Amino acid sequence: MWIERKALAAEIPAAAGLDTRRLCETLAALGFPVDGVAAREGTEALDVDITANRGDAMSHRGLARELAAKLQQPLAPLEASPAVEGAPGIDVRLETPACPVYSTAILELGMGDTPLEVQAFLLALESTPKRLPAVDASNELLHRFGHPTHAFDADRIRGAVAIRWARAGETLTTLDGVTRTLVAQDLVIADASGPIALAGVMGGDGTKVTEATRRVLLESAWFDPKTVRATARRHSLHTDASHRFGRGADPAMAPVARDLLVDRLRAWCGARLMGAWTVGSAPVAGAPVPLTETLLARVAGEPLSLAEAADALRRLGCSVDVETGGLRVIPPTWRHDLSIPEDLAEEVLRLRGYEHIPSVLPPLEGPPEPLSPSYLQRQRLARRLAHLGFHQTVTYGFISPEADVAFAAPGNPAEGRTLVNPLGQEYSVLRGSLLPSLRAAAEQNLRQGAREVRLFELAPTYASAPQGPVERFTLGMAWGGILDGEDYLSPARPVREADLSGIAQELGWDRLPEVRSLGEGLFGFELTVSELPPAEARVIPAFRPFSRFPAVERDLSLLVDLGQAYGALAAAMKAALPLDTLQDLRCVDVFRSKGLPEGRQAWLMRMRFQADRTLVGEEVDGWVAAALAAAESLGAKLRA
Amino acid sequence: MDSMQRQYEEGLLAWWGVILRGSKESDGPGEAMVLREMKKRSADFYNLLPECKDLDSLNRLKGEFVGRDGSHAAKLMDRLKTAPKEQKRDLGAAINGLKQGWEEGLKTRQAELGAAKKDLNALADRWDPSLPPPVPARGALHPLNRLMDRLVEVFRPLGFHVEEGPEVETEAHNFDGLNIPEDHSARASSDTFYLAAHPDLLLRTHTSPVQVRTLLRVAPELGTRGGIRFLAPGRVYRKDEIDPTHSPMFHQVEGMLVGHGIGMQHLKGTLEYALRALFGPHTEIRLRPSYFPFVEPGCEVDVSCPLCGAAGCRVCKGSGWVEILGAGLIHPNVLTYAGIDPTVWSGWAFGMGVERMAMMLSQTPDLRLFFENDQRFLQAMGGLD
Ligand SMILES: [Zn+2]
Repeated sequence: MWIERKALAAEIPAAAGLDTRRLCETLAALGFPVDGVAAREGTEALDVDITANRGDAMSHRGLARELAAKLQQPLAPLEASPAVEGAPGIDVRLETPACPVYSTAILELGMGDTPLEVQAFLLALESTPKRLPAVDASNELLHRFGHPTHAFDADRIRGAVAIRWARAGETLTTLDGVTRTLVAQDLVIADASGPIALAGVMGGDGTKVTEATRRVLLESAWFDPKTVRATARRHSLHTDASHRFGRGADPAMAPVARDLLVDRLRAWCGARLMGAWTVGSAPVAGAPVPLTETLLARVAGEPLSLAEAADALRRLGCSVDVETGGLRVIPPTWRHDLSIPEDLAEEVLRLRGYEHIPSVLPPLEGPPEPLSPSYLQRQRLARRLAHLGFHQTVTYGFISPEADVAFAAPGNPAEGRTLVNPLGQEYSVLRGSLLPSLRAAAEQNLRQGAREVRLFELAPTYASAPQGPVERFTLGMAWGGILDGEDYLSPARPVREADLSGIAQELGWDRLPEVRSLGEGLFGFELTVSELPPAEARVIPAFRPFSRFPAVERDLSLLVDLGQAYGALAAAMKAALPLDTLQDLRCVDVFRSKGLPEGRQAWLMRMRFQADRTLVGEEVDGWVAAALAAAESLGAKLRA
Repeated sequence: MDSMQRQYEEGLLAWWGVILRGSKESDGPGEAMVLREMKKRSADFYNLLPECKDLDSLNRLKGEFVGRDGSHAAKLMDRLKTAPKEQKRDLGAAINGLKQGWEEGLKTRQAELGAAKKDLNALADRWDPSLPPPVPARGALHPLNRLMDRLVEVFRPLGFHVEEGPEVETEAHNFDGLNIPEDHSARASSDTFYLAAHPDLLLRTHTSPVQVRTLLRVAPELGTRGGIRFLAPGRVYRKDEIDPTHSPMFHQVEGMLVGHGIGMQHLKGTLEYALRALFGPHTEIRLRPSYFPFVEPGCEVDVSCPLCGAAGCRVCKGSGWVEILGAGLIHPNVLTYAGIDPTVWSGWAFGMGVERMAMMLSQTPDLRLFFENDQRFLQAMGGLD
């Protein structure tokens, strides 16, 4: 919200003595940080950030009130000459408690323009003067005093005026030229012809003040904040008025703002007051809020005297009774945000300054909790993968349905994971797999000229279920491009599926990893983190003895069918070997070439034996022969 | 490579002539068979030779074709034993020529494969340590995860653990339990993503629902466990269009402490400790009044600019302070919702935006870089511990 410095100083003269930096600091210390300062119209405008709970501070007067309380300096008197109220000039009926008070007046306009200094004031606030005194005065009042008012062209009002709920289907063309269909929850000002304004939000086009307007009907009322917020949201019509009524205006200001408006129109264009009157009455002050000494001391972190607290609250406009052990506080009519003792404690601290709050470490009242195994497992996994050369990625949890269907498990329909209001089709489905996102990131890296791309992501994937998507922490990996070859020792080669299988195995994945092709020379694999073996529960695992005698290695070059499954062959060979001495059996090389018999390949199988004694050549020969026999039983042959 | 290939072919031609000549001059069936065999083996050899990508496989090929026992060359020679003398001489010469060709091919291939090795040996004699050595592949943690991990690390000594919750949440956990009014604009579908098949479910807009879940869970045992203190790092979603400062998904770290007699002094004390641990011992913090529905009193917390040491720079806009997080004492309604008596228990909570902090600390100009996952960015920004 823009605040013009001179206008602020007009409300609190002491502010004129503060330089801009000090003024900004003081406002920030009160909870109103200044986002920027702009030089405009020969003055300075401050962009003040007002939190949603402080509708009362959304004006020069409102902020001046805060500064006055903080600086303990007087506010300028509010100079309005109270209009003598008389009989209603037009019948105004309040049909709902959503509008408890409605002050109004009818004036005959004379000749005259909006004063230049008011035009400059509005321009400084980025508001364009309309050069219609009734409109500009209402606007000026809103910014200066925070109370929205409205002027109707009185000659275009038909019959009596009612503040009532709209009838569903009624229409109103608002000042912005948009014709809106109303619902029964919209509060309207209506005349005999129908709605003429959306209460607290925007006036109607049919009764607006123009150059031709001779008589105006002024409105200065109070509307229920919730109703105004709902209507503003329903019609996407967020106005200066709806922001203020929506956060709670000061009902006591209804007649005062009317008087200020009358004064201005008299002064600016010689308007003649035909009549002023108020319908209804401002709601009575809310229930008193207690503030105990104990609660105040607890919140503040140190004992504060009730007298100091009472003084602070009174400076903010509260009426305060000091009782034994506490205060009984009635907040002022403009503060709708003070309803519990903690609210009052905050006010006391705010005026005192948060810089006075002591700094204390909270004592431990019980034993701390360890980090959860699931969290630790993911932390370790991420570190492990980073050390294995993988880059951790962070990608959006939602992807396009097309990308999703290519990788999500068959039993995981996208319908249960689809957003109703996505940013776009490409972000509409909570992903069933991390691989589409990893593929996109990998392809982007390769396009950008990366020689090799090695990515992983640890994030939930979503599985559709009747009660809503189930989230599972998933590890996804993508690997592609050219491996090594960047130094004089290591030869270059393309990344293969097997490289990812090896990583899966390294992480403890004990099943055959289903490595997926993500594109030319790019591979992906994902697993559910909870399916990895949990970290060793023992701090140090139990000792397992190992042999100190030399190991014996033997190779067997086997011709096998191209369709031979390695797992079956290895299992058969292992079964034929003494498990206590066999340390390892693995295929260390594969040959497939034209030199081999049609339909055959050669596997070089390496066996490693070790025992708690020196192994004799003959016994090893016997084992190797047994392993060969086992392989031969599956159709393998010793390669000549 | 081209010259090598030419060499093979020249060798082949030279010895092929011998083989062909031999075949013309002879007519015995044994001789024809041997010649056929030679032709086939030679074709095999020159097919396999370029397939040898390392010395191991080359040695195996060598054993297979020219080894002393059982190799193809040896077997061919064996078959000559029974041949007539004249044939023995001609064919023997042909086979030897063939074998010689193979050996030359092997040698050339070995030279090619061994070139690096040979150079290495030479290098080993006159080792230049400034030559780029082979380095293990280096990955990186994501900078956002790294920052969240660091925050957890900072709070661990104070007895904080990590609580986590789902990203798909109920309105109750995301809004109701946090004292957020029913008509608050954050609940609107213009601000929050909702699920089509489950109108009651949404993507959490902050990590605060983890507070609600955790408080509900520990409420019955709060007395015996002596309060609770935890961090809740995680991903959150808001319906913001993607631009240099907005993302529909981002990260938050929430902190919460519940105990007896907890006030603003404890919030200040904890944050002072944590932010000094994070930014250095000379860091100052500043609390300013602010408003969040789930705390009362509420505050924004500024930290003395870690980039300029509070001297004033572009990041702190010359003020020496940067806003780092929002915090406050837990609103009694939040405790009551979770079944915790606010007249007995009190606490504080804070929440910070991880991207915002990462951008501020690293001077990253565009939020989107964190989600592009360019390895160069990740290497430079995330790295390893
Ligand atoms: Zn700075």
